[in-house]
Amino acid sequence: MKNNILIIGGGPAGLEASAQLQRMGYNVILIEKSPRLGGHLAKWDRLFPDGVPADDVLGGLIKELNGVKYFTDTDIRAINRLEKSYNVRLTNGITVLSDAVLVASGFDLFDAVRKEEYGYGIYDRVITNADLEAWFKTGSDKRIDNPRKIGFVHCVGSRDEKSGCRSCSKVCCATAVKQAIEVKQAFPEAEVFCFYMDLRLFGRHYEDLYLKAQKEYGIRFIRGRVAEVSENIDGTLVVKAEDTVASKPLKATLDLLVLMSGMRPSASGKAVGDLLEMTVEEDGYFAVRSGIAAGQRSPLPGLFLAGAATGPKTLPETLADARAAAVEIDRYLTEIFPDARNYKQLVRERW
Amino acid sequence: MTPLNLILAAQAADPEVIDRIPSGYSHFVIPFTIGMTFMLCWIGVGCVRLLAAIPRADRLKFWKSLFIPKTVVRNLKDLFGDCLLHVKIWQRKPLLGYMHSAIAFGWFMLIVLGHIEVALFVPARLNVARGGLFYPIFYRYFVWMNPGHTTLRGSFFFFLMDFFLLYVLTGIAMAVFKRFRSIVLGMRHTTKPSLADRVALYSLWLIFPLRLLAESFTADLSGGSFLTVGVNHFWHFLFGDKLWFTPCWWAYSICLGLFFAAMPFSRYMHILTEVLWILLRNAGIKPSHPRKGVAEAEIYACSSCGLCLDACPMNVQKKNLKYSSVYFIRFLRRHNEKKINAIADKCLMCDKCHALCPVCVDAPALRRAQRATGNNALPYNYSYLETGVSGADVPSKGSERGGVLYFAGCMTHLTPRIIKAVDKVFKAAGIEYSFADRDGGVCCGRPLMLAGRLEAAAKVIEANKKMIEESGCETLVLSCPICYKVFKEEYGLRGIKVIHYTQFINDLIASGKLKVEKTGERIVYHDPCELGRGCGVYIEPRAALGQAGNLVKARKEYDESVCCGGSLGSLTLDTRDRAKIAESSLDNLLANDPDTIVTACPLCLKTFSEAVSNSGRPPGGVAVKDFAEVIAG
Repeated sequence: MKNNILIIGGGPAGLEASAQLQRMGYNVILIEKSPRLGGHLAKWDRLFPDGVPADDVLGGLIKELNGVKYFTDTDIRAINRLEKSYNVRLTNGITVLSDAVLVASGFDLFDAVRKEEYGYGIYDRVITNADLEAWFKTGSDKRIDNPRKIGFVHCVGSRDEKSGCRSCSKVCCATAVKQAIEVKQAFPEAEVFCFYMDLRLFGRHYEDLYLKAQKEYGIRFIRGRVAEVSENIDGTLVVKAEDTVASKPLKATLDLLVLMSGMRPSASGKAVGDLLEMTVEEDGYFAVRSGIAAGQRSPLPGLFLAGAATGPKTLPETLADARAAAVEIDRYLTEIFPDARNYKQLVRERW
Repeated sequence: MTPLNLILAAQAADPEVIDRIPSGYSHFVIPFTIGMTFMLCWIGVGCVRLLAAIPRADRLKFWKSLFIPKTVVRNLKDLFGDCLLHVKIWQRKPLLGYMHSAIAFGWFMLIVLGHIEVALFVPARLNVARGGLFYPIFYRYFVWMNPGHTTLRGSFFFFLMDFFLLYVLTGIAMAVFKRFRSIVLGMRHTTKPSLADRVALYSLWLIFPLRLLAESFTADLSGGSFLTVGVNHFWHFLFGDKLWFTPCWWAYSICLGLFFAAMPFSRYMHILTEVLWILLRNAGIKPSHPRKGVAEAEIYACSSCGLCLDACPMNVQKKNLKYSSVYFIRFLRRHNEKKINAIADKCLMCDKCHALCPVCVDAPALRRAQRATGNNALPYNYSYLETGVSGADVPSKGSERGGVLYFAGCMTHLTPRIIKAVDKVFKAAGIEYSFADRDGGVCCGRPLMLAGRLEAAAKVIEANKKMIEESGCETLVLSCPICYKVFKEEYGLRGIKVIHYTQFINDLIASGKLKVEKTGERIVYHDPCELGRGCGVYIEPRAALGQAGNLVKARKEYDESVCCGGSLGSLTLDTRDRAKIAESSLDNLLANDPDTIVTACPLCLKTFSEAVSNSGRPPGGVAVKDFAEVIAG
């Protein structure tokens, strides 16, 4: 008997988990609310630390799908938990009776408009990491016009109690270093500054990237948060910050400012969570079942979580999480689910 | 006074009132006399100590104020309005107002009328040596109405006494009811009484029913009107002729004695302290110490009524009730240093408790004074202000003479859309202006003042004052209410008109210099604390916004407006508590489904923008805009 498994979210986590479960012989249904698969990965140009094209990685993930039924432009209308399974009505009219559900709803980028002191949406030459990545990809953005001085602001909507975003978004430090290098490659004459609180370059090769940025590209790292940004009449930006190494206030005139928007819990993921009455932790991400060993199990039996739905993750971490979720789902569907008589007891003991 | 002579003559001839107890004394008056004497001594000593603690200059100002006709009139008006009739409570909560005025005014009238009766019928007894302290209180016990000689005048007083007794009794009945179901009278939260409060409270509840009992038992001897005589007939109907009234008079006296003995330690001290506080307040004397002098008068004038509990924006969470002004004052009174500091630091300084206080106790000012006891001495280094490395680029002298100077302030610099919108509006109206802190300036000093750092504040105020005076401007426009308040009140800028941009822009519209196009946008205006309650600017922003869209009402507005929670007045309130306040304030504004929330303070703007995006409302639901943005269109 082939169990139905519904996977919510067609980003890297959803794609990877779908491919793995399909290979194990399950009947996988993948839904994605936007018109195309790939999530944020589809909008990115190149990936840290090696600069691999994001399209190549995404292409590889999609190629592995191998017969997974997927629906784009599709959301969930209603979810009903039956005795063991989930009865899910989709917005495209299809109803799925699913024995396990994997929520891989990912994240939203922090809306930089909320940090009004940085002037995103108010000043023309303030952009976000996503805008810059789109420019790398398409080459068209009127705001980027041969800038001579470029600044990167780390931790926008991360580690910021005032915006209600306490958690670290994990990926922005490395992304900023990567983007700083790329922008320097695009404008070799430009001066590039990174304003940071502290750099969290924890992953393999990240530190190398950071050293390369300083040695080979002359990117200047300034420890101190940007306080406020104002605009001159000619459209250039005046950035006020504090250099906490030199213990001095600092004022710089820049042509382009890039805000490293952090990760926030996905709004559409939250809508799905509401339908399922899933527990959300204080930081806004979904809660996993208690205990650090229960990484992909939600508190509800048969409901699994993968990727950034349970907190900020890098791409390799997300993929590993998705594979782990596939193994967990397989274990649940072979060991607990089929035993109709002892189902409840097994859930109590082993979920 | 001929009438009085006539009265005396009439009495000598054919007395209306005869001493039932010729000595004019009975043992039952002892509890009352002890309680009353104790209270009078206590308050006498207290008054002297309090006045001695006020700085000499202030004290002189106080004595002088008692002879300034304008202040005298105001004092009389406030004493009647605030102490007796409780006009301020009437205006907000009529039922509560009735309750308070029934007890206060009713009791006052009973005392006054009682003394008038004694003065009319047995004037000799007003002499303290002959029992003047207690005789008028227990008048009805000591006298006997000469049957057949009761005049119309006597009956008139009987009626008045019974009328006011009934009036007080209705107030007491409501007070008892309020203890159990306060919400019916319009209060969600009430204060927890202390031990002395309870003793005084229960005595107070008993005083008037016992008075009715005592006076009704003697009503057939000493006279009475519709109430006491009626009840007297009822007793005769029940008990025949065996009326044991002495125990009732004893109980009445004991309750009075207990009440007055407990009074100095209870909230009821406000009854007398209010008088002193109103005189000090109207003399314009501000507290210089959180505990001594004027502050002490305020502390004891607090009636612990708890109206500030529902007013305080922090109390959307029940755990914050303990930070309310009423408890702050209670702990000040008890010298509980640990708690005072924690409470003083928590407050948002929105000033609503002060605005709604029935006796205008300025608790936020006391909190600031308390903060100053610790924080004023903290080190600071503003040497850069003197060496001229100031961040402020002083607009060049001469060229700006007579012009308009715009000072955005730190908070407006964090919300650059306000700066853009102000610029757009000024350009549209053809206003040439110079921008005092375009490239950064010095803080206005208000945040330091709110933190109790008065000396540090004086330094930055001095630096800014110099910059503004040297600019030679005629009008100083502020877009931040925090700056506006301090520029207006503390800077003493002579010859320069200090004006908030809502007022300035409203003037531009009124004088036809600025054209505003009216849209169908439903606008709700949020009164920023520092602008509304702080500076009394309520009308101008509304007038201007009314030209740009359709103004709708918030549930609470004007001086009842709810702080957004973003105030920099609080030193310790954390982000999550603030978010809760913002949520409730937002809820208050959205009562009538507006399209746009408009405010005139950069902090409110930021807080509401955050609150809307955190509230999970769909984007494009309700917009949060600055006043100038709406006017700029």
